[in-house]
Amino acid sequence: MGRLRQKGKAGAAKAYVTRSAAVKRLQCSLADFRRLCILKGIFPREPRNRKRANKGSSAPTNFYYAKDIAYLAHEPVLKKLREHKAFAKKLARALGRGEWSSAKSLEDNKPVYRLDHIIKERYPTFIDAVRDIDDALCMIFLFASLPSDSKVSPSLIENCARLAAEWQLYIMHTHALRKVFLSIKGVYYQAEVFDQTVTWLVPYQFTQNIPSDVDVRVMLTFLELYQTLLGFVFFKLYTDAGLVYPPPLDTKKDESAAGVGAFSLQEVQHTAGPEPASKAKTLDADGKRVSSKDVRQTIKSISATVVDDVDVDMPNVDSTSEEADEDFVAQPSRSNPQETAALPTLQALNSIPQSTSTKLFSPYTFWLSRETSRPIFEFLVRSYGGRIGWPATSGSGSPFEEDDESITHVIIDRPLVVKDNETEEERERRQRRKYVQPQWVVDCINAGKVLLEEPYAQGKTLPPHLSPFEDRAGAYDPTLGLGAQDVSMEDEEESEVEDVSEPEEDAEEEAARPEKAALKAAAAAEDAAALRAAELEAEAAGVDFGTFEKTAQKARKKAKSSETPAVDESEQDMNKMLMSNKQRKLFERMKHGEKKRAAEVSSSGKCDCASLIIFRSDKTSKKRNEL
Amino acid sequence: MAGPRVNGNSKKRKAATEEHAQPEETVFSHNVGLEMQSEDEGSEGDESDNGEVDEFPEIDPRSDSEADEEYPGDSAEDEEEDEDKDDEEDEEEESEDQSEDDDISDDDLHIFPKAKTVTSDITGQLKRVFPPIEPDYDSDSSTEEAPNRVGNIPMHWYDELPHVGYDINGRKVLRPARGDELDKFLETIEDPNSWTSAFDKKAQADKPLTAEELDLIRRLQENEIPDAQYDPYEPTIEWFTGKGKEEIMPLSGAPEPKRRWVPSIWEKQKVMKIVRAIRQGRILPNKPKTASDKAQFYAIWNEEPSAHPAPLPAPKPRLPTHAASYNPPEEYLPTEEERKRWEETEKEDREQNFLPQKYSALRLVPAYNQFIQERFSRQLDLYLAPRIQRTKLQIDPNSLIPKLPSPNSLRPFPVYKSLSVLHAKTRVRSVSVSPDGAWVVSGDESGNVSLWEVIVGKEVKRWKFDGKVGALEWCPRTDVVFFVVATEERLHFVIPPNLPAPVLFATQAVLSPANLPPAPATPSPVKWTSVSAASSSSEKPILTIDLPPSSGLPKQIAWHRKGDYLSTISSGEGQGGVWIHQISRRHSQAPFKKVKGAVQLVLFHPTKPHFFVATQRYVRIYNLAEQKLLKTLQAGIRWISSMDVHPLGDHLIVGGYDRKLCWFDLELSDKPYKILRFAFHLSHYGRRTNMFLCFM
Repeated sequence: MGRLRQKGKAGAAKAYVTRSAAVKRLQCSLADFRRLCILKGIFPREPRNRKRANKGSSAPTNFYYAKDIAYLAHEPVLKKLREHKAFAKKLARALGRGEWSSAKSLEDNKPVYRLDHIIKERYPTFIDAVRDIDDALCMIFLFASLPSDSKVSPSLIENCARLAAEWQLYIMHTHALRKVFLSIKGVYYQAEVFDQTVTWLVPYQFTQNIPSDVDVRVMLTFLELYQTLLGFVFFKLYTDAGLVYPPPLDTKKDESAAGVGAFSLQEVQHTAGPEPASKAKTLDADGKRVSSKDVRQTIKSISATVVDDVDVDMPNVDSTSEEADEDFVAQPSRSNPQETAALPTLQALNSIPQSTSTKLFSPYTFWLSRETSRPIFEFLVRSYGGRIGWPATSGSGSPFEEDDESITHVIIDRPLVVKDNETEEERERRQRRKYVQPQWVVDCINAGKVLLEEPYAQGKTLPPHLSPFEDRAGAYDPTLGLGAQDVSMEDEEESEVEDVSEPEEDAEEEAARPEKAALKAAAAAEDAAALRAAELEAEAAGVDFGTFEKTAQKARKKAKSSETPAVDESEQDMNKMLMSNKQRKLFERMKHGEKKRAAEVSSSGKCDCASLIIFRSDKTSKKRNEL
Repeated sequence: MAGPRVNGNSKKRKAATEEHAQPEETVFSHNVGLEMQSEDEGSEGDESDNGEVDEFPEIDPRSDSEADEEYPGDSAEDEEEDEDKDDEEDEEEESEDQSEDDDISDDDLHIFPKAKTVTSDITGQLKRVFPPIEPDYDSDSSTEEAPNRVGNIPMHWYDELPHVGYDINGRKVLRPARGDELDKFLETIEDPNSWTSAFDKKAQADKPLTAEELDLIRRLQENEIPDAQYDPYEPTIEWFTGKGKEEIMPLSGAPEPKRRWVPSIWEKQKVMKIVRAIRQGRILPNKPKTASDKAQFYAIWNEEPSAHPAPLPAPKPRLPTHAASYNPPEEYLPTEEERKRWEETEKEDREQNFLPQKYSALRLVPAYNQFIQERFSRQLDLYLAPRIQRTKLQIDPNSLIPKLPSPNSLRPFPVYKSLSVLHAKTRVRSVSVSPDGAWVVSGDESGNVSLWEVIVGKEVKRWKFDGKVGALEWCPRTDVVFFVVATEERLHFVIPPNLPAPVLFATQAVLSPANLPPAPATPSPVKWTSVSAASSSSEKPILTIDLPPSSGLPKQIAWHRKGDYLSTISSGEGQGGVWIHQISRRHSQAPFKKVKGAVQLVLFHPTKPHFFVATQRYVRIYNLAEQKLLKTLQAGIRWISSMDVHPLGDHLIVGGYDRKLCWFDLELSDKPYKILRFAFHLSHYGRRTNMFLCFM
C-alpha cells in the first residue's frame, strides 16, 4: 500500500476549478472575468469525471483549468481592469464633488489596456491568426452594417466598416476569393489566404437592430479583440503585399457613398524619402488591368458627368507596371488539372495564362442595375478581374456610365417589361448586351468557368442555386439526376459563343457526360418505376435502346454479385459475437450514423426522381404540342 | 404647551415674590451667586451691560403686601437681596414678554398682563410695573383648568373609587360619566374636534388638544425641532470679525516660530524630485493624446514565436448546405408536416436552425431575422461552452469486427440430414458414438437400447432394459469395446455383438476379470455384480453396478479419458448423487459428502486428477488426489446446460440455457475470458458444435 492520499489534493480535483472559485481567486467581478475569458480565449473544459473534479458534488457547474486561471492571475489586462475600477471610483467622486478640473485630468489619464500581447500569445504565428479570423470577419461585417445607438458608438461602427473595406480591398487585390454562396442568412464568401480557407458571412443590406435578448457587452468585448486582431493581420497582409497600411481614406468619396472605392491602395515606396505622392503609384483598388482604351473612355465619362461633380477615381497607372504587380497565385485550376501537375519551367510559367478561374471576368465589363446590391457584386466582379459600373443611385465612384460601349453584361434583377418607347439606339444597345440575373455571377464563380447566360436571362426562372461547400464524400448531389437540364453541361455551346480557350477534350468529355449520366441512372435504378424514368431520360439523352438495355443488364448482374456478400451476413453476425461490449456499441453507433446518412441521401434522391419524372412529362407534352 | 409653561412662569413669579427665604432651585441660582459676589466687590462694570441692574426696585405696596407683612423689618442686606431677586425677575419677565409677544402674534393668546412703564418714585428712573395679579378668573387659569389637585401620581390608584381626586378645597372630584364604546364612537362622529382630543388621565375624560400641542405633534411627526421658537439658522454673532472688532493683541506672547519664515527643506526635496522626473521625461505634464485612442499596428509576427504551442483553435461552424440557399432545389423545401414539426420542436432540439425557403429572385430575399442571435450564440459557444477534444474515428466500422476463419474453410462438416432412424413412439434420452465412429447406441424412455451401424444406418441389435434409460456412453478406450447404459439406480456394462475375438476377450477381461480385486475395507453401498466371462454374451450386460437405493435415474455418465474411471450423476437426492466408479478395482466412491446446489454436469480433466462439477451457476474444480477444492469458476450464466474441456485441459467452455457461452482460460482468472452472447440454443448437438467452433 502506497502513501495515503488525502481527498481533493491531487488529480481532477486539483486540475479543475469552478467558475465561482476562479472569480474568487482572481478577486475580480464576474463581468471582468468574462471579459478576461473572452480576450484570453479561455473556455470551460469538460472533465472526464465531473464528480471527481467537483470534489464529490454533482451540482451542475462549469470547470476551468486551474492552470488557465493561474495564468490569468498575472495578466496585465486584469491589472488594468483593477486600475480602471479605482479610476471609476475616483472619477465618480470628482464628479460628485463638482471638481471638474480634477475629473478632466483623471479622464485624460484613464487606464487603457492594450491587447497586443494577447494577440501574440493566442496566435504565435501569423498562420494561426489567419486560420482563426472567420468569426472576427463575421462580426466586423455585421457591425459595419448596424446602426449606431447608445450602446454601440458611431466610431466603433466606422472602424468596423473601415476594417471590412480593408479586407475586401485585400481580397480583391490578391484575387483570393474562391467560393460564394447566396444563402437565406446572407452571403457566404470563402477566400484562400496564405493557404488557409477563410469563410465569412455578410448579412444582406438591411438595417438590423440588436435584439433585446442579446447581451451587447459580450459582443462588444469580442469586437474589441477582433478589431485588434484584424488590425494586426491586415497590417501583415498589406505589408506582405507591398501595400501601405492603413490605406488612405478619401473622406469626400466616403461621404458620397463610394464604399470600398473610398480607399486607395498605395504601394510602399522602398526608395524612401519625404517626397509627396506625386510619384506614388495609386492603384485602382482592384488592381485590374487598365487599357489605354479604358482610360480614354473613363475620361470621356468623366467629362460627361461633370455636372454630377462626382470625381471618379482614376487609376493613373500604366498597364505594364500593373502587370508586374499582379502576383501569380498558385492555385490549381479546376478546369485543367494536368496543367499544374506538370513541373513548370520558367518559360512555361511565362506562357501560362494567369489562372483563368481567378481572372474569370477579366474580359467582361458589367453594369449593375439599380436594384442589385452594389457592395456584393462590386466585390465579386472586381475580385474576379472584371470591371463594373453602377448608376449614381447606388453610390458614387462608378468608373463608367450606363451608355458605355464596353459593357458586355448587365446584372439585372427585375422582371422583364416590354418597353414601347424605346429608341433605336437603346434597343441596339440592349441587344448587344447580355442581361443576366445576379445568380449567374455567383454560379460562374463557383463553377470556375463562365456559364451560359441563357438560363439566367432576365425574367427566367432560375436554376437552383447550390452550395459550393457541400463537397463531402457521399453527399447527395442534386445535379446528378437532372441530366440534360443541367446548365453546367452545356459547355460545347459556350465554347462557340465565347472565345474562352477551353481545352477541346474537356468539351468533348462534357458532351459525352449526359449520356453517361443517363446510363448511370439506369445502373442505379432498382425498382420498375425508377428504371422507367431512367429509360425516358436515356431516350432524351439520345442513347439507343440496345445500349441502354445492356447497361441495365450489367447493372442488374452487378447488383446480384454485390448481393453475395450479403449472404455472408450470418457469418459476420457470428464474428460479431466475439466483439467486446464497448466495441459492439461503437460499431452499432457507427452503423446507425451510416444508415441515417444513407436515408438522408435516398430520401432526397427519391424526391429528385419524382421531380425528374414531372420534368420529363412536361417535355413530352411539349413534344406532343410540337407534333 | 403654552398652558403648563404659563403655569410654571406664574409659579416662578410667585416663588420670587412670596418665597424669598426658600433656597433657590432655578437654574439661575448659580448666576445669582456670582452676581452677588461681584456685587459684593462693588464693581461698577455692571452698568455697562444692563441699565436696569442699578435700578432700585420699587416695592409696590399692592403687589408685595404679603411680603411686607411677612418681613416688616428688612435689613439693608435683605433688601439688597430682594433687589437682586427683582432684577432677576425683571430680566426674566422681559424675555418672557418677548416670547409672549411672539405668541400673541402667532396665535392670539393673551395670558400675561401688559406691563406699564412708570417713573420710579425712589430712583426717579423709568420702571415697568405690572398690574397686580387678582386671584380670580383672569389671573390664573390653573385652578379652573385642573380642578383635580392630586398631583402627579399614578391615576390607577383611583381606579376602584368613584372619584378621581380632590380639588383645591379638598372636595372630591367625581369621576365623569363615561359611556360605552358605542357612545365613544358616536362622540367621535358627532364631535368635529374629537380627532384632535386626547384622554386626560387626571380628568379621566377626553380633552381637546391645544393649538400648541397640535403644533408640537406635527413637528415631531415631520422630524422638525419640537420647539417652534428655536432657530437653527440663527446668524452667527461676530465677536472678532468686522470693523472695530479685530483682535489687535496676540493671544500668546511666544515668539514666532522659525518655520513660518524659513522655506521647508522637505518640501524642497519633494518638489525637486518631481522636477527631476519632468526633466528626465519620466513625467509628462501634458501627455499628448494621440496614440492612446487609436490602436497602432505593427509587425507583431516578425519576431520568433514563443516555444509554447498555440492554443487549439475553436471549432469552426458548419458550412451551409444546399438547404440554406436562397434558391434551393425543390427537394429541400419542407413539406407542410415537416414545417409543422420544425415549428413544434424546441429551438435547441432543431436539427437546422432555419427553414429552407425559395425565392424566385435575389431582390426578394429579406433580412435574416436571427442573424444577430446566431452570431451571439456562436460567441457564447466560444467563451462559455465547455470544450472537449475528441478524436474523430475515420475507420470502417466493419474493421471493428474480429476476423475469424470462415466456416466455409472449416469444411467438411455435416450440412444436411443424411439419415434418420426411428425409435418407436418414445423419446430418445441419449445417444453415444463409439470411439472409432462406426457405431452408435441410443436409448429411449421405454428402456430400449439400439445399436446402429453409422455407415449403413441399420439397427444391428436391440436390448430391452426395465425402466427408462437415463444416459449411455461408450467407453473411450480403443483396445476394449463396450458401453454403459444407465437405468433406474443401475449401470449396465454391455459388450456389443460381432466383436473380433481378441477385442472381445480383452473386454471380458476388463469387465469380469478371472480373479476379482480384493474388496475394499469399508463396505460400499454400491454393489458390483458381473457375469463370468465364459457365460457372458452380448444379450445381457456383462457387468451391473447397483447404485444405492433411491438414488434415482442417473442423468449423466462421464468417462475419464483413459477409460478406467467413470462418473455418474444421479437425479435422486442424497450425497449429491455423484459417484466415481473405477473399473479396474471394481470400486465406487462418492467423492463429495455434500455439494452446494444441484449438480448439473461433471467432467474429468483429461490430464490432471482434476474433476469439474457444474452446479446451476458455478463450475467447481476439485483435485481428486488431494481432495480439495481448487477453484470456483463464475460463469455468469443463469443455468448451465453444457460444459466441455479442451483435450489439452487448458480451456473450458460452459454453455447455458440463456444462450450464453463462456470461455474460461483455466490458467487465468475464474472469470470468463470471453462471453459469446446470443450464441446458440444449446442442446446435445449444440454442444458438439461449440467444440467445433472454439477448438478446431
